[in-house]
Amino acid sequence: MRLKTARTLTGLYFTAALISVTWPGLVPFARIEPLVLGLPLSMAWIAAWIAGSVVVLFLLDRVEKRYRDGGTG
Amino acid sequence: MERWVVVTIIIAAYLALTLTIGLLAGRKSSQSVAGYVAADRSFGLVVMYFVTGASVFSAFAFLGGPGWAYSRGAAAFYILAYGALGMAPFYWIGPRVASLGRKFGYVTQAQLITGRFPSRTLSATIALLSLVAFVPYVTLQMRGAGIVIEAVTDGHVPLWLGALVSYGVVVVYVLAAGAMAVGWTNTFQGIFMVVIAWTLGLYLPHRLYGGIGEMFTQIAAVKPELLTPPGLGANGEPWTWGAYSTFILVSAVGLMMWPHLFMKAFNAKDDDTLRRTVMLFPTFQLFLIPVLLIGFAGVLFTGGAPPSADFILPFMILETNLPSIVVGLFCAGALSASMSTGDALLHASASVLVEDGVTKFVDLSERAQRALMRATVLLTGVVAYYFALDPDSSLVLLLASAYGIISQFAPPVVAALYWRRATTAGVLAGLIAGTATAFFFWQNPGWKPFDMHEGILGLIVHVPVLIAVSFATPVQDEDHVASFVS
Repeated sequence: MRLKTARTLTGLYFTAALISVTWPGLVPFARIEPLVLGLPLSMAWIAAWIAGSVVVLFLLDRVEKRYRDGGTG
Repeated sequence: MERWVVVTIIIAAYLALTLTIGLLAGRKSSQSVAGYVAADRSFGLVVMYFVTGASVFSAFAFLGGPGWAYSRGAAAFYILAYGALGMAPFYWIGPRVASLGRKFGYVTQAQLITGRFPSRTLSATIALLSLVAFVPYVTLQMRGAGIVIEAVTDGHVPLWLGALVSYGVVVVYVLAAGAMAVGWTNTFQGIFMVVIAWTLGLYLPHRLYGGIGEMFTQIAAVKPELLTPPGLGANGEPWTWGAYSTFILVSAVGLMMWPHLFMKAFNAKDDDTLRRTVMLFPTFQLFLIPVLLIGFAGVLFTGGAPPSADFILPFMILETNLPSIVVGLFCAGALSASMSTGDALLHASASVLVEDGVTKFVDLSERAQRALMRATVLLTGVVAYYFALDPDSSLVLLLASAYGIISQFAPPVVAALYWRRATTAGVLAGLIAGTATAFFFWQNPGWKPFDMHEGILGLIVHVPVLIAVSFATPVQDEDHVASFVS
């Protein structure tokens, strides 16, 4: 993947995350049922976005590292 | 042996161990300003991970988090939501800041901003605003430590003594060893608080309700409004979406602008370490889940109610008849959370005051700077301790607005690193306009549109002023700009 694409996708993920954990993105998920791993739906939804950010940053880092090592960034 | 005696012994052992780690770490630090403020730019991944996590999560997360979950329910999810959002931009900003730090010898945030926008007024303004935000923050950490110790020793160790001894230890190792001590003690304290939080957060719901899902099912049957975002406001009425959303936004913008966190970029050994710290930070942040579970476990607890919501955690620990050793370890966990933020704040307030406030106006030798920083650590500690003993001080109110001030540092930082056309006059005008706006709405909460956080309202004024005044003033020298914006 190209560096620019990776950065844009990362930016999009965090923009989506911001909208999803605030108004209006959280409104459809502002419910208790169904419980996910014992947590209310809204809490599990927010936790999932946090867990996802580790994965996204890990993937971004792989692309960034390849460009840095290659000296073309 | 009585419970409070066992607990006191564990606390004493914990404090002795922390002090030892802090003092031993200091032996590795050089006698320079860069050594005292930025630990000679030497931190590896493990230390950076815990120093960042433990400095971010303070007594507020450990005591206030469960308190919010207990009294305001889903409103507490905001604490969970903002961290990863606030940290992510640092993947790019952090290494940029670190490389400028190496190039020009910067050790504070204001040095970076005024490096691009030379102005003594700007430097002094940032130093002053940082201190205004810092003192109530340190005070709350001290008070938190004192409250926990008083509660778990059944009042045998009063608040004034608990706060004095625990922060006496902090002041000694910060004085002796600066950033190096903060780094190594935070590593120890960070591991401690994460282990304690996960253990208690999984254990208490099982013990009291038979499981986490079972606990939420029971709460949902009695108080469904508590578990539905945006939860409840301080008055017990449903909170507004405007306030909930802008709390997340302002905290995300402000998070890494706290000088004690921003300065960590200057401590890292290399850029890869910084990037990996950002990458792994959300894993640390997930420890807020068990912390909130502890608060929720108190909602249907029938054994009485704590004197105030912030006491829910020590209250639950004491009322569920846990073994004394568990109570002691919990207390050490809470102290870890308090002290690991308190030490970073004390250290940063001294660095900021001396580097950005004093040396811009008076010429001081390196030796004199270090001496003055140590004096400032002591002075800030004493001032905060004075406020911590006053139960009626309105510092909680001040702290709520601290993010309003701190978030105003974001536009100058972004402009310094990414916007060629920004000028010194624009940045100064924006900072003053933004801070004044935040202050106005903090004083007049009834005027806030959509119940938005005053920090966000400040930014709405700040950014246009920065842009307009920058365009109205002459362009900066091209070579000067090129060394900051690549």
